[in-house]
Amino acid sequence: MYKESTLSVQISSIVQETEHVKRFTLEIAKGKQLPRFSGGSHISTYLETPKGLLVRQYSLTSHPDDCSHYEIAVRLSEASKGGSRIWHQSMKVGDHLQISYPKNHFPLSFKARHHVFYAAGIGITPFISMMQELRDKGQTFELHYASKSKQYCSFYEFITQHYSEQSHFYFSEDNHRIPTLFLENHLVGTHVYFCGPETFIEHFVKAAKDLGYPKKSVHQERFSPPQLKRVKPFKVSLKSGNEIWVDEKQSMLDALLQHGLNVPYSCKVGRCGTCELPVITGDIDHFDFFLSEDQQNAQNCILPCVSRAKSDKLVMEIK
Amino acid sequence: MKWTGDLAHFPYPFKDSTYRYSNNSIPMKQPFCIEVTPSYKKEMLLKRKLLSDHPERCYQSLPHSITGQWEIVELLIDHLISQYPQHFSVEKENNSWIFFNKILDEKVEFIFGDENSLSCEPLFFISHHVQEDLIYMRQRDDDLYLDAGQLCFPANWSLAFNIGMKFKNIHHPIPGFKEEGLDQRILQFLMRLEAGTPWERLNWSLMAGDRLDTSLETFDQWGKLRKHVTRENAGELVHIRVEVQKLFRLPRTNSILFSIHTHLLSLEQLSTNREWLQQFYEILSELHAHIVEYKGISHYKASLMHYLEEQLERVKAT
Ligand code: HEM
Ligand code: FES
Repeated sequence: MYKESTLSVQISSIVQETEHVKRFTLEIAKGKQLPRFSGGSHISTYLETPKGLLVRQYSLTSHPDDCSHYEIAVRLSEASKGGSRIWHQSMKVGDHLQISYPKNHFPLSFKARHHVFYAAGIGITPFISMMQELRDKGQTFELHYASKSKQYCSFYEFITQHYSEQSHFYFSEDNHRIPTLFLENHLVGTHVYFCGPETFIEHFVKAAKDLGYPKKSVHQERFSPPQLKRVKPFKVSLKSGNEIWVDEKQSMLDALLQHGLNVPYSCKVGRCGTCELPVITGDIDHFDFFLSEDQQNAQNCILPCVSRAKSDKLVMEIK
Repeated sequence: MKWTGDLAHFPYPFKDSTYRYSNNSIPMKQPFCIEVTPSYKKEMLLKRKLLSDHPERCYQSLPHSITGQWEIVELLIDHLISQYPQHFSVEKENNSWIFFNKILDEKVEFIFGDENSLSCEPLFFISHHVQEDLIYMRQRDDDLYLDAGQLCFPANWSLAFNIGMKFKNIHHPIPGFKEEGLDQRILQFLMRLEAGTPWERLNWSLMAGDRLDTSLETFDQWGKLRKHVTRENAGELVHIRVEVQKLFRLPRTNSILFSIHTHLLSLEQLSTNREWLQQFYEILSELHAHIVEYKGISHYKASLMHYLEEQLERVKAT
């Protein structure tokens, strides 16, 4: 199975930001450098647990040009069965761990003339580096940040110190909420960004849609849920009527190639898209990193180098 | 400029006996963007002459590419010193860098991130130290744009024409690319490229002559050689041109560095490997007419096939 390349870091400090949020500073070994990153980037952290490796994503809240350390902020989630609980209860200064290179699924728009950030709770984190980037470039932005109270508001001091002019806080304890009405008053060319709990994002995305916001001007950060890999054998039925058996140990691509089918392929790790094949019927378990969510949900094509069947059988268009 | 290294190291581009356009990218095993070959000195001399004599043809950049250009400088210097520590080194004190190129006996001092500390743009500077052509594809909203590039050894295309273009528009001239939806698929692949996981692919074409600088702008100078190919001289005159192309996600600007290292091998040299000769002959025999035309082989394909057949017979006889 595909394993991404990682960087080895050590926790160099832990700060209790609010009652539920801790900030962790991650350092790379002396003499080495961490990659710079773009505003809105996150990393995957790999936590070793007795039950196996836990992979969790966190936005980087340090300065994008700081190559000596990264910072992440982790909220202890009550529902947590692993990730945030381990971060809060087990991780200590001096601990080593593996992290991914920075990735960005929430980049700033290039063509926007003004950026407006809507954050709720720990959803503030990607905006910290985004605001830094815009400030460095001399572009305009505003932040609307909802939290329970000042006391529970992560980065409150940091934000009031550095971005007081651009920032507005809404504390539910004082009965303040961010009115979606704001969306109506943005000038043409404004891009809006939402990050927070699912309900918060949905609420604002819907409001923007109802107002007729261009889809491309609306950005939202969603971290993909961890994938569970259930690998089971299944059958592939071809147009010719032949059936090919794929056992647990082999990929569907290898099974097809072994049977002399001329399937093109290149990377064999679900990233290049070359091995894509059409599927007529059957439930597909997508494990690739290539197809978009819509393409995966359509359930009509498969990347056989990594993906498999959920059902017992896939009926294929190929001969 | 002919291949002078060991033939076993030549990036032979084929794995099957048929050739179709596809996304033939693979993850790199050794994640290094540059390669220093035995012809380093000779090629750097040629490249530098082209850069100074024809700057507008060989170098283009848009103003907002500067941060990305610095990112490329950092990546390339890092790769040069870790892969070739005997040839390259760097001394860093905060943002003050001193870069040493020991092959050319040069030393360059600058302040990282400060454009005024160099006499030229950052990408232009680092281009003087690597054999590769360097293209910076900026991710803007949901697309990739050619926002800067240094191109001395193009395979019949023009940087000045393509600057600022989107990925799909750049690939517009390729037959079947759009119709088969390949351009969309490859764009989708590129948008998902991640830092830490670089990719490479090989591209190939044929040419009459052994010029590295075959820009669209100078077609009148090198294109006419196509008419001079005969079955007698094809082995010497015709070259396979292989580009080792590498793709790196640049995390600071969330953009992509596309590097191209071009290698030329005469068919005479290629024919010394029996399997290559056989496979190459099969590929050409079967190659779709529109690809033959696009790659500029149509003019001399007949002479070429005669030459290869003769070689195959010669091999069989021995
Ligand atoms: C992102 C960086 C890339 C850039 C800047 C780039 C640029 C170009 C250019 C300028 C050409 C010549 C077009 C012309 O005739 O004017 C070309 C050709 C081509 N490109 Fe790309 N390309 C990139 C990535 C890729 C990738 C990832 C693929 C994957 C398959 C690809 C496949 C091709 C093919 C098949 C051709 C035709 C080559 C031939 O038949 O000789 N390109 N590209
Ligand atoms: S071979 Fe690359 S996605 Fe399957």
